[in-house]
Amino acid sequence: MLSTLSVMGQGFLHAMSPINLIMMIAGVAMGIIVGCMPGLSAAMGVALMLPLTFTMQQDTALIVLGAIYCGAIFGGSISAILIHTPGTPASAATAIEGYQMTKRGQAGKALFTACYASFWGGLLSCISLYFFAPLLAELTLKFQSAEYFWLSIFGLTIIAGVAGKSLLKGLMSGALGLLLSTIGSDPGSGMPRFMLGGNSYFYDGINVTCALIGLFSMSQVFMLAEKKITERAQASKVTDKMSLTREERKTIRPTIIRSWIIGNLIGILPGAGASIACFLGYNTSKQFSKHKEQFGKGSIEGVAGSEAANNAVTGGSLIPTLTLGIPGESVTAILMGGLIMKGLQPGRMLFNEENALVTYTFFAGFVLVQFFMLGIGLLGSRGFAQISRLSDAILIPCVTVLCVVGSYAINKLPEDVLVMFVFGIIGYLMRKLDLNTAAIVLALILGPIGEKNLQNALIISDGSPKILFSSVICWVLIVLCIVGILSPLFMNKLEKKAEKEAETEDPNGPIEEEDLV
Amino acid sequence: MKKILAFALALCMIFALAACGGGAKKEEAAGPFKPNGPVTMIVAYKAGNGTDITARILAKYAEKYVGQTIVIDNQDGGSGSKGWSKLSSSKPDGMTIGFINLPNFNSSIVKKLGTYTIDSFAPICNHVTETSIVVVRADDDRFPDLNALVEYGRAHDGELIASTNGAQASNHIGAQAFANSAGFKYKAVPKGNTNEELTSLLGKEADFCVVKVPDISSMADSVKVLAVFGTERLPELPDVPTLSELGFYKDWLGSSRCIAAPAGVSEEVVKFYEEAFKKAMEDPDYLAESSSFATDYKDAAATTELVKQQQAFTEGLATGFWYD
Repeated sequence: MLSTLSVMGQGFLHAMSPINLIMMIAGVAMGIIVGCMPGLSAAMGVALMLPLTFTMQQDTALIVLGAIYCGAIFGGSISAILIHTPGTPASAATAIEGYQMTKRGQAGKALFTACYASFWGGLLSCISLYFFAPLLAELTLKFQSAEYFWLSIFGLTIIAGVAGKSLLKGLMSGALGLLLSTIGSDPGSGMPRFMLGGNSYFYDGINVTCALIGLFSMSQVFMLAEKKITERAQASKVTDKMSLTREERKTIRPTIIRSWIIGNLIGILPGAGASIACFLGYNTSKQFSKHKEQFGKGSIEGVAGSEAANNAVTGGSLIPTLTLGIPGESVTAILMGGLIMKGLQPGRMLFNEENALVTYTFFAGFVLVQFFMLGIGLLGSRGFAQISRLSDAILIPCVTVLCVVGSYAINKLPEDVLVMFVFGIIGYLMRKLDLNTAAIVLALILGPIGEKNLQNALIISDGSPKILFSSVICWVLIVLCIVGILSPLFMNKLEKKAEKEAETEDPNGPIEEEDLV
Repeated sequence: MKKILAFALALCMIFALAACGGGAKKEEAAGPFKPNGPVTMIVAYKAGNGTDITARILAKYAEKYVGQTIVIDNQDGGSGSKGWSKLSSSKPDGMTIGFINLPNFNSSIVKKLGTYTIDSFAPICNHVTETSIVVVRADDDRFPDLNALVEYGRAHDGELIASTNGAQASNHIGAQAFANSAGFKYKAVPKGNTNEELTSLLGKEADFCVVKVPDISSMADSVKVLAVFGTERLPELPDVPTLSELGFYKDWLGSSRCIAAPAGVSEEVVKFYEEAFKKAMEDPDYLAESSSFATDYKDAAATTELVKQQQAFTEGLATGFWYD
């Protein structure tokens, strides 16, 4: 115990090395820019910056990726508040109250609230990261083939059920992703499948990062390009002071705590991410508020509820990623890719003597990043707001170049760029059909895990399916799967109600949904 | 404002482009070989992978003796075949060399993942050797030694479970070679990598498994090494018997990271690098930094022999080795 504490302390010292501090600032700033620009999501920011981390030390690389992640999730709120266009889907709920405050001349107050709530949401989520990650890592020994099989099924039910608007379309997207995940060598026997004529390029399956850049970013370019290029709304001037009174801070305190818990739990669930958390956080803040009449007219509690929740997801979703190798959402899926690229495997190994220092340095970096996010957010919001207005005429070529370079730089394979473009087109068609692109990415990751572990479990049991029901953890996961499948029945109601209420009470009209990936 | 932003974005892109790395200038050299520009060293795995880490340490000290910068070029994909295809098709001018990882390299030839054969390469030297070992959980009282494991296996035919690092991957080959020689059947559970393989053992899903010596460096308390593959005991595990002395599998088994050039390079090129890397591997600073892995220099002739032997071994696995 004492040694763990000392490693945690050392982690802080390492995280405060000059290079790490500089990279934290750069990462947070880059994240906020990516986040506040409608069209660039957090997942894309992390994916595009991944190749830049190849030459960095393990801890620095992870810290940069974490910093971009946190920055981007917060950054979305700036454009949500000032131009009523959420920079990332995670800030969709922030736009409702935030833009109202801006219209009332309280843009500064709204930005401060978003920043303050994001900071606390993120910081509090680190507590669970420090506490649960090593605990769950120890428990991974209890997770064997059968348990992993159910875990991946659980993740798939969550993305199909919760993440989309319609269960049917969620299932369709997930099934498409599962089909695509069968490309490559069979995990059990090594048999080649759908490898396009013995070409070894697909031996390890589809490169998830390239697929993700295509699905999320390239498809966004196609969406933007087909529309007439119009100037974005003028960002409102921030006329008031960026601060909150002591009473106001006291009012939002319980909201932040509630949203932290919601965001953290959503984060830990595989498949559910920040975009769901912000709506749940917003709703809960409204239900518990003593000033319900302010909702729809610019409530600081609404802004805080949404922003604390989406940033609380960050620490939470790192937990299953680092311990079980099951990413909580698409951003952490790429972060996991970075982790593996740096020679670190998710699981107990991250907390053994050899790697604990790197892991805890990353954790400490994640804590420090929150402070930088607060500082940079408070000082730079006005400037970032200008960036968020960047015309599509500039944005489209820039994002295209970043997509091509980003997908090429990972392995330096031209085929990767082709895969990125193919997935860009798939993503574009899926958006047109209102399918769920995030479901494809997670199915690409979870599919092989589920398949391999089902095969392994059946090898061990000589083909008897009884092994899948042989432990307590299996049964817990089975129950969770059933809840996951049934959840749309009540979740959809809840969310629809929330969105409906939000829309009817949002006098600004519906939020531009172009960027909701 | 817009101009500044556009400029900032352009700057981002330049950085991204720079991250892709530059290729080395390649020119023909006349007379006794000496590289006349940065030397490219292809590693067929991602940056941060085990081979990459040891390659970078070697490259750092070898630059002194090569007289040029050595640029590591990570070409990951297709189980290594991407990088080896690139190495085999590089110009044989001594400006591009690379690592080949035995026996994965040999498996990729047997599986026809690339267009190359062993004759597409000119081995230069061996860098790192990792010997395979048989391990069980430290607290598993059923297996105090290897004979107990074998007897249990024979008495409960087909019941022992071994986790592996993938279907027909290196540690699966090891477990199969051991079980075949000891005359018992077992169930092989293919995991994705060595980390998951050991987790399966520690989580009591598997009964035993075959890994390589460095894989257990951080878990000395939780696993017990029953035997090593080979004819001689390892200096770092002096009390552990070899399979050969116990009367089971006779040959050495493990993995080797060799350095090779594309076939067609001149004798001089091979000789030049052979000598440069030998000096680098004897450099006291290198030895100090490389203490965590087993440097095992072998000259070009011995390395060529090793590649051939491993190729014959891997090809021999096609018949009568695996359970059908």
